[in-house]
Amino acid sequence: MFLNLSIGEFLAIFGVIAAFTTALYLLDRTRRKQVVATLRFWVTPGLPSPVTRRRKIQQPISLLMQLAGMLLLLLAIAELHWGGAMRARRDHVLIIDTSAWMRASAPGRPNATLMDLARANAIAWLRAVPDSDRVLLVRADALATPATAWETDHVKVARAILESRAGATEINLRQSLQFARDLQKQSGSQGGEIAYDGPGRITAADADSGTPDVPILRVLDVPDPSENVGIRSVGARRSTSAHDSWDLLVRLRNYGKSPRTVNLTLNLAHAPMGAHSVQIPAQSEQTTTFELHTKGAGIAEVRLYPLDPFGADNYAAIELPAQRSLHVIVYSDSPEAWKPALEADPRVSPEFRKPSEFTTANNGLIIIDRFHPAQTPGGNTLWIDPPDRSPIPIREHVTAPENLRWAPDEPLAAGLREHDLEVPATAVLETGANDIRVAEIDRGPIIAARASADGKTKTIVMGFNPFAPSLRYELAAPLLLANELRWFAPDVFRDVDVVAQSPGSVTDTIAARNTPVEVVSESGANLPFNIRSGRIQFFSGIAQRVNVIAGNTERAYSLTLPEMWDEKWTPPAGARHGIPAWNDAIRRGTDLWPWLALLGAALLVAEYLIYGRETSALLRVVRAHMEKAA
Amino acid sequence: MANAPLLDRKFLERLERLTIHWQKSFPGLVGGHNRSRLPGGGQEFLDHRHFHQGDDLRAVNWRAYMRLDKMFLKLFQVEPRVPVRMLLDISESMAAGKSGKFDYARKLAGALCYVGLVRLDTIEVLPFSEKLREGKTSGGGRHRFTPLSRFLQDLEPAGTTSFLKIVREYLNDFPQRGLVIVISDFLDDGGCEKALQYLADYGNELMLIQVWADEDRTPPWNGECDFVEAESGAKLHIHVDSEARARYTEEFDKFAAGIRSVAMRNSGRYAAIPTSVPLDEAIFGKLLQARSVA
Repeated sequence: MFLNLSIGEFLAIFGVIAAFTTALYLLDRTRRKQVVATLRFWVTPGLPSPVTRRRKIQQPISLLMQLAGMLLLLLAIAELHWGGAMRARRDHVLIIDTSAWMRASAPGRPNATLMDLARANAIAWLRAVPDSDRVLLVRADALATPATAWETDHVKVARAILESRAGATEINLRQSLQFARDLQKQSGSQGGEIAYDGPGRITAADADSGTPDVPILRVLDVPDPSENVGIRSVGARRSTSAHDSWDLLVRLRNYGKSPRTVNLTLNLAHAPMGAHSVQIPAQSEQTTTFELHTKGAGIAEVRLYPLDPFGADNYAAIELPAQRSLHVIVYSDSPEAWKPALEADPRVSPEFRKPSEFTTANNGLIIIDRFHPAQTPGGNTLWIDPPDRSPIPIREHVTAPENLRWAPDEPLAAGLREHDLEVPATAVLETGANDIRVAEIDRGPIIAARASADGKTKTIVMGFNPFAPSLRYELAAPLLLANELRWFAPDVFRDVDVVAQSPGSVTDTIAARNTPVEVVSESGANLPFNIRSGRIQFFSGIAQRVNVIAGNTERAYSLTLPEMWDEKWTPPAGARHGIPAWNDAIRRGTDLWPWLALLGAALLVAEYLIYGRETSALLRVVRAHMEKAA
Repeated sequence: MANAPLLDRKFLERLERLTIHWQKSFPGLVGGHNRSRLPGGGQEFLDHRHFHQGDDLRAVNWRAYMRLDKMFLKLFQVEPRVPVRMLLDISESMAAGKSGKFDYARKLAGALCYVGLVRLDTIEVLPFSEKLREGKTSGGGRHRFTPLSRFLQDLEPAGTTSFLKIVREYLNDFPQRGLVIVISDFLDDGGCEKALQYLADYGNELMLIQVWADEDRTPPWNGECDFVEAESGAKLHIHVDSEARARYTEEFDKFAAGIRSVAMRNSGRYAAIPTSVPLDEAIFGKLLQARSVA
């Protein structure tokens, strides 16, 4: 059978070559008419006249030798093989495990990692593969990635094997085997082995989905350590009891077969902040909590002792952001009305001044309560019922306004309903096209917000005093103020969670609904994500920090912990194991093409030497004998 | 280019220092440039001989008669004007192939004619194939070269070669002995050696210039070939290989050696000029070496 060509292709190509060769041959042997000055020197007196041939094909053996040479060369190109399909050239896929677990030290060889053993296994297997077979290398962690094309040049594959490194995610073995099987189907050649080279540690989800049907599966086992305790995740959240505290939740897992007691330490900015001793049953998880008091930003490091063969999950670090606050200066003659609302939130640091003490200095927010300062302040400003020269002009004043309406889908009016507030009197504002009409009555807007083009300077004008004595018992007033403060400084009021976990596919609940969601990597790139049933899912194949911002909440994922396995994979019963032996089916097969190529080339060279234009006397004798025989 | 001159002016200027040279002594009138051993009306004293009745009394050496009382006649050396006749082969064989053998021969003839005209020789160009064609006689200086050049340019190759016929015709028409320049490929199926020997036997000095194309001596063809002879139309179908080609060249060289031996045997000169040799190299190289010109 032919490996490179079908029988139809072979016959078609050979037919074309044979026709072309014969045509050239006949053309070359065509008699040429030539007018010459004399014929006397061609005929030597006393010698017989030169040979005159009458046959159409003058040198049939020459033509036959040429055609036979071409045929043999074409057979060599087509890679003729004796025997059946088992001896045909095959396409093998080598799946090398590059999961995070491959960074673990090899048992009994502390200087070698599992990756080193896997590379050695892969090279040994590659040496056993016949040179004519094609091999494709797939690096498998959470994603199966082809590292080479289909290569008969095994040196390229070996180079790719040696360049393989352990990643940060766990292997998705089912996907990798299915991917390898699809590659074999698409290659168009005889399918060979799919060799998996690794310890076979897989996730629970992977184990549940089972092993796909692979015709010839070979497992190159990599022995791995049995005992390991590691950090699976670290989460940090603002304490609900004290606003300058963080609650750190550390989740540990014992992968071994015996219970272990480990020590867990917490450092902030290299200063020890706490230590716990945790006992973890075999093959189970345990959680422990630290309380961390800090307002400033810093890196919290969690370390696990004693060290074990897999050190990558003995350490986790998360970056805690600083506790920020909004500085609010209230210029009012009745500051006591403002104090309860502003001092209730620890993220607001209010300062109360009289209108006569007004200055334009503003490093957060200025609230101007029912007066107009001599100088217009810069920065964020909240105007309360300005008597004149309002930044948003006042059209008229209305008493007992009716039909108060809040702007729908506007963060400034979030949580407010139409009948929450009954205003005794208010100013009606003359808003522009770009102004946000937060609340309005039939006569026009009574609360309006305006942001500069760059969004750095924001202004809100309220046509009434929300903390007037008549509105003291209205619940909408502090809620409206809270919305306004969030609108002025969204970064300050954003709820931040910090999580350290492993990369790969990350799934988490998302609290804010109907709000814009952003998933941003530490390089500033937006990662693709999807939200389904209140859960956000995104993928990161590398260790990095990813921020998920959804409305007023932000969750910072420090994806630095290695993704770990849950179970040991059990190969199918029919799977082969180890490096192929010398008499393994993978090694059998006889390549005829080198001999065919040599024979074809030898025939063509012989034909040239015997029938070529300039032939030696010896070969002319040979030719004469061959012609006589023909 | 129909109006292009046969030979360019620069080449003609170079030819002016040459002379057509011959070795034999021919009788003739004064005015030539090659000395003759025959006495005649020259200026330089040659010898004395006894006076015979009928001799010119003006040549008697009267001083010797006064002293010896015998009449001796003074003989003077003469540089006779010897007719130079050029037999130019215009047979079909000269036009065979693509090497321009005929054109080359015409140019060579023109060059030699110019050399003769410059030295005041009388040149008669006689084209021939199976017979002598109408010739063109020129003499009296270089200004007569233009008509002769035009005559050569108007020649067309035609007919077969028959040296025996044309030599017989020549000897009948031109009994006066002189220098005979033959420019030809000498490819005559009837053989040319015998005819050339006749020419020499009648007292003419031979200057044989064999012009050949490279393919005439070393055929470039291989394989099955149908050869057609240009003059006779005879056909030969053969398989050509390196051995046949070598044999061919060997035969050709033998043939050329035969022509050369005819020239040498009769104190003539022989030059073999392939058309691949540039014309000036042929004149100033091959013909000078053969002492055909000096």
